[in-house]
Amino acid sequence: METIITARKLCKKYGKFKAVDRISFEIMEGECFGFLGPNGAGKTSTVRMIHCVSPLTSGTLTVQGMDAHVDNRAVKQNTGVIPQEITLDNDLTVRENLRVFAHFFDIPRAEAKKRIDELLKFVELEKKRDSKIDQLSTGMKRRLLVARALLNQPKIIIADEPTTGLDPQARHLIWQRLRQLKSQGVTLILTTQYMEEAQQLCDRIVIMHQGRILKAGMPARLIEEEIGREVTEIRASADQDDMLLAALGPLAIGHERVGDSLYFYCRDGRPLMKKVLELDLPDTVHRPATLEDVFLKLTGRSLIE
Amino acid sequence: MNFSYRIAYVFWRNMVSYKRFVLTTFLASLIQPLFYLITFGIGMGAYIGYFGGKPYLYFLVPGVLITSVMMTASFECMYGTFVKMVHEKLYDSLIATPVSAEDAVAGDIAWGAFRGLVSGGMMMIVAIFMGILPVSLVSVLLLVLLMVFVGILFSSLAMIVTSFAPNFDFFNYYSELVITPMLFFSGVFFPLDKFPGWMKTLSLFMPLTHAVAISRAIFLGTYTRGLFFNFLVIFVLEVAAFLIGVKLMKKRLIK
Repeated sequence: METIITARKLCKKYGKFKAVDRISFEIMEGECFGFLGPNGAGKTSTVRMIHCVSPLTSGTLTVQGMDAHVDNRAVKQNTGVIPQEITLDNDLTVRENLRVFAHFFDIPRAEAKKRIDELLKFVELEKKRDSKIDQLSTGMKRRLLVARALLNQPKIIIADEPTTGLDPQARHLIWQRLRQLKSQGVTLILTTQYMEEAQQLCDRIVIMHQGRILKAGMPARLIEEEIGREVTEIRASADQDDMLLAALGPLAIGHERVGDSLYFYCRDGRPLMKKVLELDLPDTVHRPATLEDVFLKLTGRSLIE
Repeated sequence: MNFSYRIAYVFWRNMVSYKRFVLTTFLASLIQPLFYLITFGIGMGAYIGYFGGKPYLYFLVPGVLITSVMMTASFECMYGTFVKMVHEKLYDSLIATPVSAEDAVAGDIAWGAFRGLVSGGMMMIVAIFMGILPVSLVSVLLLVLLMVFVGILFSSLAMIVTSFAPNFDFFNYYSELVITPMLFFSGVFFPLDKFPGWMKTLSLFMPLTHAVAISRAIFLGTYTRGLFFNFLVIFVLEVAAFLIGVKLMKKRLIK
């Protein structure tokens, strides 16, 4: 696989605030690459620089062999963007929205018509083609944004939190469509705060926090390295910690106390569970480790504002 | 500055959306000039009678024509652009395509000028129906060009205001402190020569004064050498306002 995007010591400052702080990464052609992080981690700032709508403060960023900078129309011509916010044209109908955008990409009229029909089918909006935007549900609007991002048949698709605020059906439909695009060889760049989304879609992820990359790798490998395979959560007050740690600590590879819960991380949770049953602890959850555990371990379980 | 032919696409986008409002804006553009022409022209004109050898309406029409271009173009690039930029985030999705921020803003300025032309044009048609005719067909064509030219000027000035407007209320300052005074101090309704000297000087700093002077000269076919100065003032201001407006808007759009 070839590298399609390279960032070296990429920085983005807004006034004195460092949104992105000297990060480096590479994205391969045809993979799905995820930027994970809490609000304000610098995910959106990073992808905005990739699709050339935000100038770099310092560092280098190469997209498809071209320097990424504001006004690089060639990069924008080959990139599809599914924005975080719904930026549809409310004055226009569904089809007009796409037609106007096809214009912006210099797509000839007949070709545009063909692509619009195909895309409306692809996102299951054929029946809504002449509806006004305010007659659509949030899920439909998001699907229309997906269709709009595909008009120019982009090689790179940037999806900035594409499923925020959607119900499960709509979310799964979007995931399916994104996977379908990936199977057609499109490079997919995703930002999300939903760990499930990252696990569903991404080949590789970076976890960002306060403008920096904390960890990079394949989701399954990261979970294994940081957490293990299984997690046991025990709801118990902190004064029981000494007793619980003495009994269970040796059977786990790590533990953490957050609020009313004590978390134990294990490669193999069976010995620990046996002990938990022996101790007859009433309020216990035993489950597979997820990316969410990695994320919370790295960025802290307290609220980030 | 990074302009391209895509300015036309942005203009076209506005045209597609305009289809839905075209009838209401036509009516609105008709009603305002009718008020001016009826109240001032016929009501006041009856007392004034002849004015430089012609009925008062011949004085009034070329002034009100340009005023309505100013109003429409200004409001389009204030309220219209603000809604697209802040409420609908339309500019954000525009600049993610090969359209540059400069293209987007220039497209909207061109659009503001077009809307101004529609308003001024409606006004001219009403005046023609009332029998107040420009001196020749060439005059009509020149007036159309002038309206576009003046529309670009006021669209660009409004763009500067929009580039740092935090909310809708902000536009009140511009319309109350800049637009409204111009309406009364630019020789739209009566000649400036009875004004005291300082007022005359003040009026020279108002772009509308110069636009009205040119409009009136074209309408009546009375060209003088002073017009060149009027034209120069507008031209210089227009180029400056356009470049500054685009630059400030780009600064707001691209962070």
